[in-house]
Amino acid sequence: MKHWIKLLPIVSLLFMSVSAQASDKPSVIRFGLVGNAYGKPYTSGPLGYVNEYGLLEKEFAKDGIKIELSYFTGAGPAVNEAIASGLDDFGSVGDLVVVVGKSGGLKVKYILASGGGSNTYIQVNPASGIKTLKDLKGKRIGVNKGTYIHLGLDRILDGVGLKEKDVKLVNLNAGDANNALATNGVDAIASSADRPVVDQGIAKLLYDTRKAPQYQSSPGGLLVSESFAKKYPEITKRVVKVFIKGQYWASQEQNREKQLILGLKTGSSYKNSKDDIADQDLKKKYNPQITASVEKKYLEIEDFALAHGIIRRKFNLDTLFDKSYSEAVLKELGLQNYWEK
Amino acid sequence: MSKIKLTMLVLGGLLIGIPNLYAAPTPEVESPEVTAPEVAAPGDAVDPEAPANTASTKEDETPITRSELQGVRSEIAVLNDQLTRQLTRTIANTNRALLIGGTLQNRYSATTWQNTTPYNLTPGFSFNSAILSLSGNLKKDYEEGKNIDYAVGLSAAGNVNPTKTTTGSTYTTSIAAATFQPTDAYIKYSILPSLSIDQPYLYIQLGQQKRPFGVEPQATEDKQPAINLATFSGPTGLNLSARDIGVQLKGDLLPVVDLGYNLRTPTIEYALGVFNGTGPNQLENNSGKDFAARVNFNAPVEYNSDFRGLTIGSSFSTGKQDLAVIGNPTQFISGGIGKASKVRYGGDISYVASPIGFTAEYVVGRDEQALSASNSYATAVTTTTQSSGYTLTLFYEWGEQFQKDYRSQSRSDDWWPKTYQPFLRFDHWDPNTAVAGNDTTVLTAGFNFFFAQTTKLQMNYTVSDNKLTKVKENDFILQFQYGF
Repeated sequence: MKHWIKLLPIVSLLFMSVSAQASDKPSVIRFGLVGNAYGKPYTSGPLGYVNEYGLLEKEFAKDGIKIELSYFTGAGPAVNEAIASGLDDFGSVGDLVVVVGKSGGLKVKYILASGGGSNTYIQVNPASGIKTLKDLKGKRIGVNKGTYIHLGLDRILDGVGLKEKDVKLVNLNAGDANNALATNGVDAIASSADRPVVDQGIAKLLYDTRKAPQYQSSPGGLLVSESFAKKYPEITKRVVKVFIKGQYWASQEQNREKQLILGLKTGSSYKNSKDDIADQDLKKKYNPQITASVEKKYLEIEDFALAHGIIRRKFNLDTLFDKSYSEAVLKELGLQNYWEK
Repeated sequence: MSKIKLTMLVLGGLLIGIPNLYAAPTPEVESPEVTAPEVAAPGDAVDPEAPANTASTKEDETPITRSELQGVRSEIAVLNDQLTRQLTRTIANTNRALLIGGTLQNRYSATTWQNTTPYNLTPGFSFNSAILSLSGNLKKDYEEGKNIDYAVGLSAAGNVNPTKTTTGSTYTTSIAAATFQPTDAYIKYSILPSLSIDQPYLYIQLGQQKRPFGVEPQATEDKQPAINLATFSGPTGLNLSARDIGVQLKGDLLPVVDLGYNLRTPTIEYALGVFNGTGPNQLENNSGKDFAARVNFNAPVEYNSDFRGLTIGSSFSTGKQDLAVIGNPTQFISGGIGKASKVRYGGDISYVASPIGFTAEYVVGRDEQALSASNSYATAVTTTTQSSGYTLTLFYEWGEQFQKDYRSQSRSDDWWPKTYQPFLRFDHWDPNTAVAGNDTTVLTAGFNFFFAQTTKLQMNYTVSDNKLTKVKENDFILQFQYGF
């Protein structure tokens, strides 16, 4: 008894010393994605298509590289955390998430634009007495802070002369926000197109940005951790290639309906999703290029976020964008002139 | 009506409501399923001129009829009715929201020793403890988040040593029944609004609870890093981890919020409490009260700072206790109930980060004690005994469990991130600093393996050396701590 007990610490230490083997290719590529309000491991748009048909898995199957997809209910900020902690290599997030993450020192590169023009919807509880956007003053508004919807809300408030400090923001993820609105936990919520509480007749839609492109989101994008991109540039390029294929598919008007049907897997309403993008040019929406226009929009977001106290410091946008992967892939696919520059 | 029941009814309602959302004479979508051949998957070489796949089968476009839709509605209505009846019969109700939790510990222990007679504890399996916890909300303030919450805990020690009574050449064994004792039992009110993460919080907490002192003493059973408490924190030390009955204010100031990661770090956290000082489940036995206070400063930094997780704290506690004889804390002086002073103070520094971190804690106790047992309180000669203890824990971890948001994922399976955490802890306790050679040191090498949401496997190997008794002990404990 005495002797084997003494050996236990040594055995434990041996067990602890298991570590990852260095290699010229990763054994797994890990993606952080924004989860949806219904807790379902699906997403819509180009990424929904990529995932539905396992394009990433197919691309890397011959190399024996596994693909791991994490859908975070904490949305973009959770993706940032996963990348910062070295738990994810890539992240697909919205515009404000990119800016607050980079401003806070997140070591990532923005390598692909995607999904601009996302709308923000303001839903209100009828009992709150809110009739106009100005009536939001002093009210409790549920929003997932740090996301593109947070930015959309601030811009909408700004449009009617209100600031964040004029309202009471309650930090809630999408699912909790719906519950809070339904149970009078908040007076209003800012959300994406999905609005089950309105659909049930419990809440009312006050406003949305479908006719106000100045309040719509800028393209979110694909982030890669700097360390991964530096270590595996070819793998990074192949990931970009798969994503651009997805965006090419989603950019085609003929596939609009199929996108909506794929989106049903997330639990979202077909009708709301359809109405949300009804007036949008898909080719423009899913343009993967990091154009001068995209860079300008990000500069504007940075200025807005700084002025409104969402970030504390600016950063050099040149340290964020890396167009090399998308430009190389577009050329390789012969798509360099498909999307507008 | 219970939350579960309400939720199920809402779900049932939604099931009925869903067809309404899609109902139309000619529905735009018949099936949410898409099969691969329907969508042109771009190949390695994408032809930008190639038209997108527009093929849709006629079957896709066939609308369902109103009668078919009515049939679906009827079936859902029947299911809803059945569900409602079942809920009425089989689901427990509570007046208010209730979260039921529990922590259980099963372990295997083996001990070797030197310089003492063999223990009656032989290597073997044991059920260490069972803790049942109930918590919930009594009043929810939707306006400002000034909620009233409650917590109740019950704990039973699983290990019961049988008592053997010898009569002549035979003996009988009696086994005391394990009983549940209340641990936490308090009501908590949020004095300040708690809806905004960038504003300070302040709570008042009344009832039986942990006192605001130190780091390890305040950790609840499921959060303690090692299987055994640091000596100063346990009953053979200053028993600082024991609960007490009283009231405390606890809050924070100057929170730093990093929206990029949903991180809230209060720069200052404080707590101030008044307690009976007699321990858990005990009535007050003197007119004096114990006061305890703690303040700690967290590095006011954003997520990506190397200083995130750095905390420096200080604690102080004072009160009265029964006058005991020096060297024998269970022998009391007549008339000395609640007459002896008791002071505790300490400091701590911790760096809880990933993958490496540490916690260090130093505590001093000053207890007024009688020099001799032969006197009454009126004639007792007293002195102040100073004790001290410190502990240093170093840990390394890999895995995902301690990443705040990583655990909240949408998954189809019962996934939970795994985490591995080896640690080393040095623990020192000196019951009387004026006396040389009476201190105890305990070195623990441990390994925690978190492999499920509420379950971890703990392996601890401890080497302890009691200089006063000359007893040296090596213990190996393997424990599963699991909860629900």
